[in-house]
Amino acid sequence: MATENIAWQLEDFVDSLVVELDKTRETLAVKAINKPLSYSVKELSLDLNIFPSYDGDQVTFITAQPGQQAASKVSIQLSSITDQQVRATTKVPGAKGEVNLSEMELDKSTKKQLRKLGVNSVEDLKQIEDKNVDIGKVTDSDIDYRTLANQIQKSRRSQNPPTVRAVSLSMDENKSPYLLIQGENLAVDPAFLPVAVVNQTLAEVLSSSDREVKLQITADHFLAANNEVIVTFDPFAVVKVNVKAKA
Amino acid sequence: MDEAFLPFRQIIEEMLTFRGEFIDEEAGVRTYITDYEIESPVELDVSRDADGTLRIGSTPPLYYVNTSIRPSFHRLRFTAQITEDADGD
Repeated sequence: MATENIAWQLEDFVDSLVVELDKTRETLAVKAINKPLSYSVKELSLDLNIFPSYDGDQVTFITAQPGQQAASKVSIQLSSITDQQVRATTKVPGAKGEVNLSEMELDKSTKKQLRKLGVNSVEDLKQIEDKNVDIGKVTDSDIDYRTLANQIQKSRRSQNPPTVRAVSLSMDENKSPYLLIQGENLAVDPAFLPVAVVNQTLAEVLSSSDREVKLQITADHFLAANNEVIVTFDPFAVVKVNVKAKA
Repeated sequence: MDEAFLPFRQIIEEMLTFRGEFIDEEAGVRTYITDYEIESPVELDVSRDADGTLRIGSTPPLYYVNTSIRPSFHRLRFTAQITEDADGD
């Protein structure tokens, strides 16, 4: 007699079923090499006697076991489809750098709401944003949009991280020293003024752009042979560099 | 998985293992099955591996006698078609 059946979600069950059928296909393909007449499975359906349950979050099923009556019935049908149909109905999977919903730091409720909307990655969210769709109005849901917006920004930033190419000490026209940090994707957010700390003392940011940032240096910064410079370009990009003074 | 059950793919593979060609040498006739459909009651054992993967075990009805506790028979139905060679033969 079978062991106690466990509860499963439809997605898990179908995934396992598909994996099993893929293995069958592989076995049959090997068999076809030597056997002139071989067969392949074109359509498969399973009528399952199951007991569904809903815990307020998700629907799970338990397959009926011997002696259990009054089960519900679920029919799963798997049909063959062409490559063309797959292309027409499937999104390009896992583009490079795509952030999956499960990797995002969102609360469970927001993830659940987004999944219901068919949003599985930050890319999906961007597409909705690009079409100027207000998810809140459409769904009347209580999604935490502030966190969501931050996540989108964080994702975008991680795809274009700041890179420091050079740091040099110079003098301005008033003979005041300043530290010039040069690189790429530095201060890209115009709404955020970078914050810099040199040798554990706050430094005034004289100017900032995506290619360079100028920091005012005073006697309080105690420049020495080795200097620690930390710059927060925006909430999602912090750079720490050690600057060595040339003798 | 319970030892009385086979992985789901094996059930399918076993059902597909048959000689689909009939030859009558005297009459000079060669006949073969092009496609067929199987419908069968099956028992299922759904378990989960240590890594969380769902395993579907299956078996055709195990007993042929009437019992007080009846197994729950699910129904499996599939169509198989002959695989054509690349040249269409």
